[in-house]
Amino acid sequence: MIRLIRSNLLDITGFAVILAFLMLLSLGMGFQSKLEVPSSILNLNTIFLSILIEAFPFVLIGVLIAGMIQIFVTEEHISRWIPKNKYLAIVMSCSVGALFPACECGIVPIIRRLVGKGVPIAAAIGFMLTGPLINPIVIASTYMAFGNDFKIAALRMGLGFAIAIIVAFMVGMIFKGTQFKKSTSLHVHSHSGKQSFLEKFWAMLQHSIDEFFDMAKYLIIGAFLAAMVQTYMPAKTLLEIGSGAASSLAVMMGLAFFLSLCSEADAFIGASFSSIFPSTSILGFLIFGPMIDLKNTLIMMSVFRFKFVMTVLALVAGTVFTILMLFGGML
Amino acid sequence: MQFHVQQAARSLILLGFSVFIYMLHFTGKIYLFINPKYLLLSQAAAFLFLLLFFIQITRVWTIKGTHDHDSCSHVGECCSHDDHHDHFHDHGTTPFSAKKLVSYLIIVLPLLSGFMLPAKVLDSAIADKKGAMLSIAGSSKSGQSRQVTSETKEQADNPGTGDATQPPEESDYQAGQDTDIPEGTETATGYENQMTDEEYNKKIEELEKGTIIFNDSIYSSYYEEISSNIDKFQGRKVSLYGFVYKEEGFAEDQLVVSRFLVTHCVADAGIIGFLSEFPDAATIEKDMWIKIEGVIETGSYMDTPIPLVKVSKWEITEEPEVPYLYPVTIKRN
Repeated sequence: MIRLIRSNLLDITGFAVILAFLMLLSLGMGFQSKLEVPSSILNLNTIFLSILIEAFPFVLIGVLIAGMIQIFVTEEHISRWIPKNKYLAIVMSCSVGALFPACECGIVPIIRRLVGKGVPIAAAIGFMLTGPLINPIVIASTYMAFGNDFKIAALRMGLGFAIAIIVAFMVGMIFKGTQFKKSTSLHVHSHSGKQSFLEKFWAMLQHSIDEFFDMAKYLIIGAFLAAMVQTYMPAKTLLEIGSGAASSLAVMMGLAFFLSLCSEADAFIGASFSSIFPSTSILGFLIFGPMIDLKNTLIMMSVFRFKFVMTVLALVAGTVFTILMLFGGML
Repeated sequence: MQFHVQQAARSLILLGFSVFIYMLHFTGKIYLFINPKYLLLSQAAAFLFLLLFFIQITRVWTIKGTHDHDSCSHVGECCSHDDHHDHFHDHGTTPFSAKKLVSYLIIVLPLLSGFMLPAKVLDSAIADKKGAMLSIAGSSKSGQSRQVTSETKEQADNPGTGDATQPPEESDYQAGQDTDIPEGTETATGYENQMTDEEYNKKIEELEKGTIIFNDSIYSSYYEEISSNIDKFQGRKVSLYGFVYKEEGFAEDQLVVSRFLVTHCVADAGIIGFLSEFPDAATIEKDMWIKIEGVIETGSYMDTPIPLVKVSKWEITEEPEVPYLYPVTIKRN
């Protein structure tokens, strides 16, 4: 009997989960008609959900790719490519980052590994800045979000890359050494190579689920805040705070920092502001957000020294602001 | 045998998202959230959620001892974050804490609100927050400046009256012929707003003569043309419908017959619409759907010239099944 249950456990569990879900569903549907909710809440909810529905495909694809990289690409592969010359290494690592699709949630652990293995800190920061910002999914979603117009996507990638290189050079001039908080031991798992392809693939999918759950809460908070702003903050106020070129850029960069959106999905939210703000400010949102944001800063602080994290934050913010103000007139 | 509560919760959440998206597709509610152009993409997301659910379900039960290998996926170099799991990457195996409860609650929030609250068509309150009049004036303003730089100087030679302008009388005459146009052309397409180059050009040509009839598939293109070139269309007869939007500072006899233009999802909905003037306007409530006929004139909002419709005839209509407009996608052959 027990053996019978055990062998069919998977089916039973699946069945139970589906049953539980259907119960919750019918309960929820029952509520739908009874609940009296103010219409502004319903508006908020509709906008909130629409952002999520639109972002989910991109997040899931991003998570699957991130999972694939975590499993199939080793950090050694990347570090082998990094040249010995410090400045060459920065340009190199920014380019590798641009080719390497990663999200900002997953990239801090990777750069920690890279730095631990002797990659210069400046090169690692360059990699961290371009990794989430420049990759095929971000290009595709930015292209789509701005009405199939390639201009914003191209500017986002081009200016973003230039800014990443400038910041990495400055980090290289200011900081030496690993900048780790404490001496963190890096023990390497040694069972690589023992798994079959299928096992690796399975692990990759499981990894994707974990990655999704890590990211989902930040995405949901971001979508909710964005929906709040849209439902309750009149565009006129936002226009008044950010009426000048400089202040509107600052407002959008601040928004990007606090929303902490995934680079795969932030284009859609950035696009929703394009009727209110000039494209320079929108670019500030699109470039600054993926490079560094609230959740990324928090993750970095658990690895690097506080002073280092704050300096990097200030450097990125300052450079993005300056470059966009300089180029803003030409757009 | 060990039962993992958190893994079960995760599988429930994954299934929830999948069912939620599929449900929106089956009930047609998805049109209240996204542009139909992205239907396929969102179905793909629902499918991926379902796939991840089936994978997650295998992690709910583990045999004691082998648990590390089964559920933690410590394969190869995957664990670059092995020192502090709970900070960087949560495999759902670390002990439950208040912090985790909060993050699960956050993830469950959209499911709860999605299933329990009805989807709502955006209304004039949102239009107000989005700065409806600002964007109407904005599209007219940007159109005008584009006009100055790109249009030939023919325009400057005939100020006020563009060469294509027809006297109102003639318009009226033509309008008589055009009333034969079947009403059916005005209903929402409800599907991806796609047309070929030819169809699009034909519709734009139709703009040059007779009464301008706004149907959903071409609404936004006509709107753009007219607001960027008000002089040219001055005196033309129009027939259009939308929901009523009013704002502080409007005269008693003014309202905006407006629509939301959704590029991707309703979060990026922009307001387009025509300021309209007629004595009955004061009696019409916000958010009512009305159909109007009238003549285009030049009005102004904060010193920006915007198109203004002098309404001659109006009636109350039903809210269309698909209340939003989607920009035209030109299909290349």
